[in-house]
Amino acid sequence: MTARLDRRDLAPLWLLSPAGLVLAVVTLAPIGFLVFTSFTSYNQRTLFTGVYTFVGADQYAKLLASPAFWASLVRTVLFTAAMVAGSVLIGMGVSHLLTRLGRAWRHTVTVVLIVAWAMPNVASSLVWNWLFQPGYGVANWMLAQLRIFGDTTSLNWAQDPALAYVSIWLLIVWQAVPFIALTLYAAETQVPHEYKEAARLDGASEFAVYRIVVLNFLRPTLLLVTILSVIWDYNVFNQIWLISRGGPGDATSTLGVYTYKTAFVGFQIGHGAAISVVTTVLLLALTAVYIRNLLRAGEDL
Amino acid sequence: MKNAVAAVFCLVWLFPVYWMVNTALKPRPEVMTPTPHFWPHEPTLNNFTAAVTQPQFLTDLRNSVVVVAATVLASIVLGIFAAAALSRFRFRGRRAIMVVILAVQMLPATAMLIPLFTMFNSLDLLGTYLALILAYVATVLPFSIWVMRGFFVAIPAEVEEAAQIDGAGTWRILVSVLFPLVAPGVIATGIFAFIAAWNDYLIAYTFMQDESRYTLPVWLASFTNPHTGTDFGAQMAASVLFSVPVIVFFLLIQRNLVAGMSAGAVKG
Repeated sequence: MTARLDRRDLAPLWLLSPAGLVLAVVTLAPIGFLVFTSFTSYNQRTLFTGVYTFVGADQYAKLLASPAFWASLVRTVLFTAAMVAGSVLIGMGVSHLLTRLGRAWRHTVTVVLIVAWAMPNVASSLVWNWLFQPGYGVANWMLAQLRIFGDTTSLNWAQDPALAYVSIWLLIVWQAVPFIALTLYAAETQVPHEYKEAARLDGASEFAVYRIVVLNFLRPTLLLVTILSVIWDYNVFNQIWLISRGGPGDATSTLGVYTYKTAFVGFQIGHGAAISVVTTVLLLALTAVYIRNLLRAGEDL
Repeated sequence: MKNAVAAVFCLVWLFPVYWMVNTALKPRPEVMTPTPHFWPHEPTLNNFTAAVTQPQFLTDLRNSVVVVAATVLASIVLGIFAAAALSRFRFRGRRAIMVVILAVQMLPATAMLIPLFTMFNSLDLLGTYLALILAYVATVLPFSIWVMRGFFVAIPAEVEEAAQIDGAGTWRILVSVLFPLVAPGVIATGIFAFIAAWNDYLIAYTFMQDESRYTLPVWLASFTNPHTGTDFGAQMAASVLFSVPVIVFFLLIQRNLVAGMSAGAVKG
């Protein structure tokens, strides 16, 4: 557009430079500094004295030899997979439900979705702690009423590895479903009716119509929301930190929590930086896929 | 049948929010009962009073307001010019800039937190508003540019051509023709920026290190006290107060939500 503008027009340069300078200082420089720090012995002492030594690739060597790191990586991958699978599947279901509802119900469900989505994650994490509180939490009370698991009143969710995962998973899925459902719903309304009608005339069941016709149209959107979910869930921090602090022990220390504990609880900042670099590199591949797909989906850069 | 499914879904999904409000409205003895009260039998606003009369509430509210306002303002002013450059002009390196802006959004929080922490530590800025504002601008500015750019792209080229025929120069076109047209985009972006900065817990928690410097999310989490027990009534009331502005904003920008999310503006 604006082909009229002179090629030598310097306007874009002037327009970009304020934001460009600020971003260079607050994002690009820090990324460079992170990589630099990962090659040093930066620790608690350095924070006061400013003194550190250059240790080459030692932090990385130490990292690759550390069972805690590998355990955390495996945990992150598995937990991310569980959260993404849960939220995408439920999101697909809710999206499909929305297409079949009348106006009033559709509107109600949409508002409910937006309210859940809008809850700040600090607030929702605290609400979760209260729902799952041992002694008076309503979740334990409800479980006790089912009379399947016996007396669950004093169940301590944050202190049991499996239960801590379950409650964090529920929280993440609860907050992730709205975005996925609403995005998929927007795409699902674009599916041409003729295709669905044709399939029905051929005697396809409703499920077959969904699987063959609708899913085919949804594929690009589904791919985008899945990649985004993977990126976000891989990076989840607040919810885990506020519910279990990565515990009990290290049971729920995903890479984000593990990095945080290393850098800001143990103040081994150089080592934390190395973990962070590795975490980022692993994620970068995924980000590249996301951006490529966004381009392919017609987003004009 | 499908309506029943929808009703069950709404009940389940709304329950945590309902439970927060329900607890917030209960008098102290009703908060913890062997059989939970599913509605407050004697509703009261005492928990809200208890929350806002906490010694740190007003200080931390002020901290939040100052930092969030500065972040929103800086991101919009810096972002609108950059967004104009990236949408109304074609030049070398434009695509590369867009890709970097998008990629920065996807970084894990600690990847920015660690270097900003050490940088601010050596500049003696930890614990200051400036440190927090700069860190928030780093998170908010990229998506602000991205979201506003979308609004610029939507303006047809004819609008510019008409202004040009009337003899307006590049700057004139930008300021008096294009900027007014993207006003709705500026509002949407401002709301996204507000939400991101208002909700941040991690950066404030790590950088501010002193009660009187906390922002509201850190204040909210500090109600949790494993030693003396948490006052859940007051914490839930505080959570309601903290969440309401965000929920209202979300409902206001419904139509832009999905676009903003894919740019990383609001995370799940």
